[in-house]
Amino acid sequence: MTNDPWLRALLEGAAVVTALMTAVAWITWLERKIAGRIQSRLGPTMVGPFGLLQPLADAVKSMQKESIVPRDADALLFWLAPPLTLALALGTAAVIPFSPGLLASDVDIGVLYALALSGLLSFPIWIAGWASNNKYSLLGGMRMVAQGISYEIPMVLSALVPVVLAGTLSMGGVVRHQAEHGWFVVSAPGVGFVAFLVFLLTALAEGNRIPFDIPEAESELVAGPTTEYTAIQWSLFAAAEYAHSLLASAIAATLFLGGWDGPVLPPAVWMVLKTGALFLLITWLRWSLLRLRSDQLMSLCWKLLVPLTLLLLLGAGTWVTLAT
Amino acid sequence: MTPGGYFFGVCAVVAVLGALATISARNPIRGAMGLLATIVGIAGMYVQLSAQFLAAIQLIVYAGAVVVLFVFVIMLLGPDAHGADGGKRPGSWARWIAAPLVSVLLLGGAVLLARVSTPQRFRAAPPGHGTIEAVGGDVFGRALVPFELSTALLIVAAVGAIAIARSRATKPSERPASVGATRRLFGGAIHPRDARTVDDEVAR
Amino acid sequence: MSELVQVYLPMFLVFAVGAAIVAVFWLGGHYLGPKNPNPEKLQPYECGNDSDGARGVRMSVKFYLTAILFVVFDIEAVFIYPWAVLFKGLGWTGFLTMLAFIAALLVALAYCWKKGALEWES
Repeated sequence: MTNDPWLRALLEGAAVVTALMTAVAWITWLERKIAGRIQSRLGPTMVGPFGLLQPLADAVKSMQKESIVPRDADALLFWLAPPLTLALALGTAAVIPFSPGLLASDVDIGVLYALALSGLLSFPIWIAGWASNNKYSLLGGMRMVAQGISYEIPMVLSALVPVVLAGTLSMGGVVRHQAEHGWFVVSAPGVGFVAFLVFLLTALAEGNRIPFDIPEAESELVAGPTTEYTAIQWSLFAAAEYAHSLLASAIAATLFLGGWDGPVLPPAVWMVLKTGALFLLITWLRWSLLRLRSDQLMSLCWKLLVPLTLLLLLGAGTWVTLAT
Repeated sequence: MTPGGYFFGVCAVVAVLGALATISARNPIRGAMGLLATIVGIAGMYVQLSAQFLAAIQLIVYAGAVVVLFVFVIMLLGPDAHGADGGKRPGSWARWIAAPLVSVLLLGGAVLLARVSTPQRFRAAPPGHGTIEAVGGDVFGRALVPFELSTALLIVAAVGAIAIARSRATKPSERPASVGATRRLFGGAIHPRDARTVDDEVAR
Repeated sequence: MSELVQVYLPMFLVFAVGAAIVAVFWLGGHYLGPKNPNPEKLQPYECGNDSDGARGVRMSVKFYLTAILFVVFDIEAVFIYPWAVLFKGLGWTGFLTMLAFIAALLVALAYCWKKGALEWES
């Protein structure tokens, strides 16, 4: 590694973003394969062996399509929203620890930073919905932000359970604590496991994945905030959605499943395996479950998850105090 | 220039451009977007001042929550948010005199102050003053009583919001009988069937 | 340059690199894609009806209420962050402090629930 801090930081940033974009491309292939199998189809097969080159073909194809800005739309914000969404989604990658030495920015408030970016992500999508000047898009955007901010509360509170147990907000620190004292999903009787489940649920809701995809409920809102988007701009939104799901899986693996900690295999392999397993779980849920109604969604959040996570925090506090 | 200097420059430009957009945009939503840019720029400056916890809080509370609140209020007002003239009237001639005058006065005052008085020097902050441990130590140490009292503020905010929301509710007679009690209480669109424009209302 | 900027530099450069990659895609779409707009194509989609856009639409006060509840609980979470980090040093005193804080907010939540502010649609 070079000693020039600028060059080093640039290399680390480029490595993280390139790895993530490559992963995003091929998880779209993976998801389509799994969806196909669940629905007794084959999924993509034609482009390359097992359809493996399908993501590249899709990217080139969507660039060759026409980008349409609807009449009376706010053109500036309409153009800005998709790249902003994807850049925000990619930005979270900087604080994910892939192995003890492979972590772009080991900041002391890494958990806080990841949660802050995750909370901001619904906003550029709202901008897209508003700029489209379409009632479906606008309502989809409003619902997306309402859902995003509501579920951010239990998400943040459940992510704080590992912070209480480890006593640090640094992502690397949380993993090091788990490597020494056991993974939080099994240690701290019950509390860690319930917090893990709540975190997964809220991550699904933040990423608008089924069963929480009300902002883009086809039967009433066409395609939600992205109804008016075409070509590469639409693809940027799709890529951002996958990047967000993938990073949410990575954060859950870091906070609750011990991150890179594991026997025999190298740490980075463990991290990739855990993240991949969680992403597969999310995909499986998507193709198996139905959509909740918006009132059920809001009730679940405010009447169950918010009080539950507040009590979980107190439970984690009791456990830590009793254990020391 | 040092990398920190470049970083400050980028943040300052973003913050100032955002502020200009906030006050000059005709459209209130665009104004809110400008405010968002200013908030993000200032968060960057906090990082440069070694106040990283404050920077994260700035992003979470101001960019993530307060701007959303502003935007939802603008959406609640709908066309009224543009003002009585719909934001299309070209404004009074007085602003062409007032704005430069105020700017010149402010700038002149700042230059004059810098000339006549010695600049106030603050003691350098101790290293690590912006870490979450340092800030938290203060909150749960000497600021414990204000911290507990802040719950009262938060409760009042929730109660006040409900009071305001109820007083804005439409009269029951203006709503179809099929609409449920909560919908009557909190009138407005949450579903495409309710998303009427002002023109639709006039037509009825 | 300060230590802190050095630690945070990769984070900002992740943004910069991400923005650069996004720009490449965006420019690719700009140069490869056709541009043949016509009035029919540019019309906002509205299920076959002539659309008059969404500029005059007023949103439900429900959204505003959700936002302000979010602000209240978000600020609460902001106080919990330092508590979670410092908790091991604070012991039972810290636990009771937070117990009082969380209990007060649960009362606020119960009030909102009773007033129907948590009902999305009846």
